[in-house]
Amino acid sequence: MSKMIFIGSDQLTAALDHLSERVELWVPAGASGGPGVIRFQRYRPGVEVVLDRLTNLSPKEAVQPQVETLLRFRTVKSADDPAAEQLLLDDGIEARRVLVFGARPCDARAFLLSDEVFLKGPYEDVYYRARRESTLLAALVCREGDDACFCSAVGGGPADTAGSDLRIVPVEGGVVVEALGEEAESLLEGLGEVVSDAGREEALRVVDEISALCMGEIDTSASVQAFKSRFEDRDYWREVAERCLSCGVCTFVCPTCYCFTITDEKRGLEGERLRSWDSCMFYQYTLEASGHNPRPTKLERYRNRVGHKFSYFPEKYDGRFSCTGCGRCVRFCPVSIDIRRAVSGLKENICECP
Amino acid sequence: MSVLNPYRPELATIREVIQETASIRTLRVTLDDAEKMRGFSFQPGQVGQLSVFGVGESTFVINSPPSCRDYLQFSIMRVGEVTQRLHQLNVGDQIGVRAPLGNAFPVEEMRGKHILFIAGGIGMAPLRTLLLTLLEERERYGEITLIYGARSPGDLCYRYEFEDWKSRGAELVLTVDQEFPGWTERVGFVPTVLSEESPSPHNRIAVVCGPPIMIKFVLFGLKELEFEDHQIFTTLEKRMKCGIGICGRCNIGSQYVCVDGPVFNFDQLRHMVPDL
Amino acid sequence: MKELRQAVEAQWPNLEVMIGWGWGFDLLHGRPLFVRKIEEVAGLVWNPFCVQNLTGYLAKIPAVQAEDKAKKIGVCVRGCDSRSLVALIQEKLVSREQLMVFGLPCQGTVDWRRLAAHSPLVGVKSARIEGERLLVEDSRTIREFTLDQVLARRCLRCTHPNPVVYDVLIGEQVAPRATSLDRYRDVERVEALDVGGRLAFWREALDRCIRCYACRNACPLCICQDRCIAETRDPKWLSQYMGLPEKFLFHFIHALHLAGRCTECGECERVCPMEIPVTLMKEKLGRIVGDLMGYEAGLDPEATPPLLTFNPAETGV
Repeated sequence: MSKMIFIGSDQLTAALDHLSERVELWVPAGASGGPGVIRFQRYRPGVEVVLDRLTNLSPKEAVQPQVETLLRFRTVKSADDPAAEQLLLDDGIEARRVLVFGARPCDARAFLLSDEVFLKGPYEDVYYRARRESTLLAALVCREGDDACFCSAVGGGPADTAGSDLRIVPVEGGVVVEALGEEAESLLEGLGEVVSDAGREEALRVVDEISALCMGEIDTSASVQAFKSRFEDRDYWREVAERCLSCGVCTFVCPTCYCFTITDEKRGLEGERLRSWDSCMFYQYTLEASGHNPRPTKLERYRNRVGHKFSYFPEKYDGRFSCTGCGRCVRFCPVSIDIRRAVSGLKENICECP
Repeated sequence: MSVLNPYRPELATIREVIQETASIRTLRVTLDDAEKMRGFSFQPGQVGQLSVFGVGESTFVINSPPSCRDYLQFSIMRVGEVTQRLHQLNVGDQIGVRAPLGNAFPVEEMRGKHILFIAGGIGMAPLRTLLLTLLEERERYGEITLIYGARSPGDLCYRYEFEDWKSRGAELVLTVDQEFPGWTERVGFVPTVLSEESPSPHNRIAVVCGPPIMIKFVLFGLKELEFEDHQIFTTLEKRMKCGIGICGRCNIGSQYVCVDGPVFNFDQLRHMVPDL
Repeated sequence: MKELRQAVEAQWPNLEVMIGWGWGFDLLHGRPLFVRKIEEVAGLVWNPFCVQNLTGYLAKIPAVQAEDKAKKIGVCVRGCDSRSLVALIQEKLVSREQLMVFGLPCQGTVDWRRLAAHSPLVGVKSARIEGERLLVEDSRTIREFTLDQVLARRCLRCTHPNPVVYDVLIGEQVAPRATSLDRYRDVERVEALDVGGRLAFWREALDRCIRCYACRNACPLCICQDRCIAETRDPKWLSQYMGLPEKFLFHFIHALHLAGRCTECGECERVCPMEIPVTLMKEKLGRIVGDLMGYEAGLDPEATPPLLTFNPAETGV
């Protein structure tokens, strides 16, 4: 039986204070100067946690920071022999124990999808592994979604535990926090009272109620093949993506987008090789040194985005989409491109626009 | 970091530099770690990512044959940031090497067959590895023919090796785009020369590498000669960063050129989305 | 809305493609709509949720083209984006003759984030403006907002609600919400801070910039977006470090490249996922250009923006 504790609404702050002493705690909070922007931030006493809505940026930052140093290099010269130079490389990484508190099931599930790419391919990404192994996720189940949510349509659900180490369930007067593993259990020591049988029942009842909700419906059946059949239908992709600005916001807010670029920065005799978020929406993404670009316009690039998430990724990974239905791309797209329509339209004769 | 880090290059030192053409330079490097150099092994067609620290990394085929234990050879065309800098380096300079990466030519499949190499310009680089590997065991293959073309005689790479290749049993058909004083070999574009040579597809494998436009017309030519898709191999190029199938950008459909390629045959390409 | 559709239908024989707005993913979001068949004209909408500046599609690659050169491209503009259109015409990025401009006097557009800031809306059933109020009905309640509470900042400071260029005018001209005196009050609020205060303001605002370049891509005048100074490596101006210096540098370069050209249409600020007041910098520079050179962007198609030309007889500089 999983360990469950109850934290009253008026005790939540104290509990977070305690947690922040044990582990580096990240919570959803308003950005300084931009209170409407909710993103995961380092918790310190005084930070106001916002749990009633989805964050703007997903918590993928915990494991894939926007910029990280892969290598540090420097050239050392010898005083005895000025012509002799030696190059030194260092690839150390410091991974701290982190708890992301207040993610959502769609956020947590996304980590499992990224794991396939970073940990289970022909090569293992050691930087990702170090951070991943030291990060725990506590996901709050969703009482409701908004008009952009569609986790149920892509294999997830509002009370799904996939990828979570802790599940947070809203109940009368507070929350029940459920540990889904040993490490999570030890984290809960002394944070709140272990629930009574009745309390456990209530929490499970809420979970059942929420699990029965259907967040979004799109026809994703046969999308792997439907996409390929549609690949060369330029009229379809123009219909879908003509209004795209190639701005990349969709990829930045998305929990499953993981593409990055690697650039070197140098100052004098030393420098770093950096990895930073990149976007398949950008022109430079596939621009070759010869000047040739296989995806010269937004049409090809948006097509690739839909293809990657709903055709190429499921083809490689047992039918799982590289999308958890969080809806951020739909909410934040400046021109209201709805990936749900792009996908459900693959099998139709005409893309139905609202 | 003690765990094997696929992003971390091995330090290597340039031992020899050969200026092949105005824009192509060959570097012969050895890994600084002597034990790693001794133990280094790869298969023809595989690539390496060369780092110029502070500038960046680029992908090049290892174009020495696996039997060559003294150095790793890379031929570099100057087109951008990293290659520009590589062209400025000299013997004794250090670079980074991440290799071997990617897949290889199916040498096993080629045994007992005639092999037709078709190269244009820098496209000779990946083919050199395979050619030399096959020539080492000449008796295991049928006819080995190379059709190699470039804009001018000065744009042909490895000119200093042609006699050696001929003496070891390769038939060379060299061509340049137009007449040049002193040039006594063929004149004409590679696809035209291919049609003139008119090789039979029977028991033959074609390996093609060069500029995209050349590949396109060579493909037409080979189909006209009734070669089938599975008999034709090529190596593809894409913008690459990680080289290990993670960063996402070099994909053609669900395949990554950096791990599922760069060697592909046309039967595979026919079944992939046309995202080139 | 009906008037717009009728006008487009009436002009249809002369049009190959019509760029307007349609419904987005829900009733709080409009979207650009590209109409190529007369049956699709019924999908055109015009309401305060039609927020996008459509003129960028005429200039950015791949620009919308009429294949039949005898026909025109129709485009909807309000006040702010009609000025963007004039700016594009001034710089010869768009040819006026190709276009049939449908001008729509505008009372303002709704910033959905100001709505959502109150509390999330679920299952929106209807959203309509009545006088100076917005009424939104979702699955739980009907909520009422004043326009001051929900209009975008750019609309609250708007001095040009009526299109400055058009072929067909839809609706009655309207009065501006701001005057030349109060249109810069947001800039003045920052100017009123001392240097340390201003630095703190911009540090806080830019710290959350994620360099997604949405602001740049949304700007109709940033036609060089694919070859932007922010991303070129040779020469290299910006590294990939996500530090304040890089963010400041990008935003200042972007604003300076737009000085004298920016018509303050506010798209940059609207699209920013981190709600940074990006247009504010451009407003400040626009005011300087106005004060020094007596020039306002996007009004006279024959004019040349002052920073794109050199006039030896220039005074005040």
